[in-house]
Amino acid sequence: MISLKNPKGALRVASTMALAGVLGATSLVALGAQTAGASKTYTIAFNVGVTSDPFFLTMRAGATAEAKKLGVNLEWQGNVNFYSPSTQLPFLQSALASKPDALIFAPTDTKALQPITGQFVAAGIPVFNVDSGNANQKNVVSWITGNNIQGGQAAADALAKAMNYSASGTYNVVIGVSSVSTSTDADRLTGFKNEIKAKYPKIVLKNVFATNSVSATAISDINQALSANPGAAGTASGLSGIFAIDGTDAAGAVAALTAKGKLGKVALVGYDAYADSVKALGKGGFSALIAQQPYLEGQLAVKAAVSYLKNGKSASAAGIKHLNTLANKVLTATTSASVLKKYTYRTK
Amino acid sequence: MTERDAILEVRRISKSYGSVQALTEVSFKAFAGEVIGLVGDNGAGKSTLIKALSGVHQPDSGEIFLDGVHHDWKSPQEAIDSGIETLYQDSGLAPDLTIGSNVFLGREIMKKGLLGKMGFLDQKAMEAEALEDLAKVGISVPISRRTVSQLSGGQRQAVAIGRAISWARKVILLDEPTNHLGARQAQEVLSVIEEAKKRGLCVIFISHTLPHVLQVTDRIVVMRLGQVVKDAPTSEFTAESLLASITGLAELQG
Amino acid sequence: MPENDRPVLTSSPETPRNRVREILSNQQFLLFVVLIALMTYFYSRNHYFFTVGEFQNIFTNFSGYALLAVGEMFVIVAGGIDLSVGSTVAVSGVLGAWVMNGMMNGHGNQFWVLTVGTLICGLVGAFVGFLNALMITKAKLVPFVATLVTLSAGLGFALLFAQFFNSGQPVGSDPAAAVFSSKAIWVFTYPAIFVILIVIVAGIVLHLTKYGRYTYAIGSNAFAARAVGINVQRHVGSVYILSGFLAGLTGMFYFMQLGSGAPTSGDGFELTAIAAVVIGGASLTGGRGRMSGTVLGVFVLTVVTFGLVFINVPPAWTQIVVGGFIALAATLQSLRPSGRKSV
Repeated sequence: MISLKNPKGALRVASTMALAGVLGATSLVALGAQTAGASKTYTIAFNVGVTSDPFFLTMRAGATAEAKKLGVNLEWQGNVNFYSPSTQLPFLQSALASKPDALIFAPTDTKALQPITGQFVAAGIPVFNVDSGNANQKNVVSWITGNNIQGGQAAADALAKAMNYSASGTYNVVIGVSSVSTSTDADRLTGFKNEIKAKYPKIVLKNVFATNSVSATAISDINQALSANPGAAGTASGLSGIFAIDGTDAAGAVAALTAKGKLGKVALVGYDAYADSVKALGKGGFSALIAQQPYLEGQLAVKAAVSYLKNGKSASAAGIKHLNTLANKVLTATTSASVLKKYTYRTK
Repeated sequence: MTERDAILEVRRISKSYGSVQALTEVSFKAFAGEVIGLVGDNGAGKSTLIKALSGVHQPDSGEIFLDGVHHDWKSPQEAIDSGIETLYQDSGLAPDLTIGSNVFLGREIMKKGLLGKMGFLDQKAMEAEALEDLAKVGISVPISRRTVSQLSGGQRQAVAIGRAISWARKVILLDEPTNHLGARQAQEVLSVIEEAKKRGLCVIFISHTLPHVLQVTDRIVVMRLGQVVKDAPTSEFTAESLLASITGLAELQG
Repeated sequence: MPENDRPVLTSSPETPRNRVREILSNQQFLLFVVLIALMTYFYSRNHYFFTVGEFQNIFTNFSGYALLAVGEMFVIVAGGIDLSVGSTVAVSGVLGAWVMNGMMNGHGNQFWVLTVGTLICGLVGAFVGFLNALMITKAKLVPFVATLVTLSAGLGFALLFAQFFNSGQPVGSDPAAAVFSSKAIWVFTYPAIFVILIVIVAGIVLHLTKYGRYTYAIGSNAFAARAVGINVQRHVGSVYILSGFLAGLTGMFYFMQLGSGAPTSGDGFELTAIAAVVIGGASLTGGRGRMSGTVLGVFVLTVVTFGLVFINVPPAWTQIVVGGFIALAATLQSLRPSGRKSV
């Protein structure tokens, strides 16, 4: 469960761009073959940060299903491994050259990809954002995204519940993020903080760790939190809960809690419904997971793009809201198997 | 010339670096207990010759005989094993190692028994023997546990020469040993060379400082443009005639 | 020959100024003082700092850094640099995890699986070191560039392997390894004991054996080493293989902590290792430094990094404090009374 969505990791892996370039070129050849012969049907370019991430794999499934239903061509693109604007840009440039009818993309940086967005718009190609968005939304038709603030709030509620919150206790918690400067992480953090301020005065946020996606750091951070707060959960001297915002933190927290025999004693709420995490729900691993809806995001994005194209490129005629935020789902051990199955991210 | 067999004989060796002909058919003989001065202007081929004799570079053609045996050294180690020690200009010592470690570098004394087989050094023995070895050739070192970087330039040179002489069995090559030294230190080095001669070693002494060459050598080999232009007993030279044959003025004057 | 005609080597005069410099430049003593001061400060901020549990954490984290720093130490003493160790941790961890995962599915003797895993990780690391050695001694690339190649490509391969084995997710799942790695005798966790033994052996090799002596000689003056017949190329190659091997073992170390091999573990660790060696007093130009200094350097880095986390200081500050230590160490080196003089 590594999120590659962090700026530091991106900088470091940028050095392996040569390798990425080779892989990219290979997939472009394949894509070029697909575009031929689509004269009447719409072609929609769909570009994401990391095509191997189960989150985006799931999004792809949703988008593909919707495209098939509506009878449009879907060009799925993105770097296999690296989440960074410098590796995403070449894919966008080649998409621009192939002149699709619309572009849907998840920018890996809030600002770096605005110029290329402008070039699409200038070429008469409408642009949609999915998951992450450009800072400047003026020339973006619509943005379909998970509600990260709501996700943070839901996490606070889930954590409070898992800690058996009552006004008579004291609940020390720590949060692990990939990087405090990633917008999604920051929003989730804000949502969490707002919620505990409003509803849970006895929750004390002791520390926010930034792991930069390094597993070893995630483990040692949680170990430090455990030995700095060695008392019983629910007391002022103990650690009661962990909110692991990114996958690296989640894995690190599970490993550290397992090793110290604290699994199940310290509440742990994770983000994203990766298959391994869902499996660990309730078995003393995660108390709860905040699941996003990448399948639905993919579906809605394609639906919006096609509707926009069919309605004379008018958002109002097509009935498209500019910002479409999807609520996140809280998964726990008591969630029914069918719901768990529905929300678990796909690996293919 | 004596009737003795030469300890070192160089026959017609040539060496070029790309298009530059550094040595052209250089030949000379050297005898035990003899100090030979090797002189010549910059680029005359002295250092190339030294590198060929010490195994650093291999000559393109020609032969080298040591004690009448033909040698074809592929590495410095092979030359050292044959009994030739070399003092390189400037950089022959590891400055961060102690004097004792430097004297025994590449020939370490190991601990006895199993520990020695496992690679353990007998540092105490090396420090003590280094003191003795240096003293034998006329260099007294009060503290051998200091690193070479803590010594003055003259002190370093003394250690380097002492090391070369104490290890040399047959021939010792000294490339500019008095360079960068003060007058008194240079005299000390020259007296160490005489000590080596007394021990029956053949010393080949390269220097630009002609008075030193005239003072300490028995014979002088003059090189110019990669060739030996003169090879005669030191007594046949004066300071002026030596300079003249180095620069080539001697031939012009006929 | 009269006695006074001989060159006499005497020690340089002991002026008071020299003595002050001598004490100031005793980096190990200063590091020790700093270490005690840091620990006292962390204790004053949170009394749980001096507990067996926290010292287990410190020794565990120390161990990961120490393995890398020891390998890096050999390379730096030999006058080189190894930037690839962080990537080697990742690539060996992922490959080792894949092998161990396969074995667990077969039979499941924990001890046997971990032993094989350790060997695999070590071999993968040694192979990366071998590539470095080839590039440096055969292709004559400067160490900085050669190991930059393996740093970059190693990370790429770690990601590709993870991609191939488990669609980019950490490879393998062995919670028992994590449990095993946290078992301890007093403050020493099992992996920490293993690492401390390796560090002791490495220190003995560096300071008391011919291998270590040649490492110093080459770093101090490679020409002199070659001139006395040391096979410099072969020795330098072996040093990079040693560094790679230890980085591979570090990959196993982090596998055991996490119970799986993540392609992102080891990210940036090469800089931590180099920082520890420099803080410990070794010279980046080669030939200088002591293993005890490097061990202290790792200790100070560990205590600073994790102590600041312990007292809830934001992580950015850790980086700044570490930078300060490096600056301090470099300044002390320049103050040394026996700086290398040009001849």
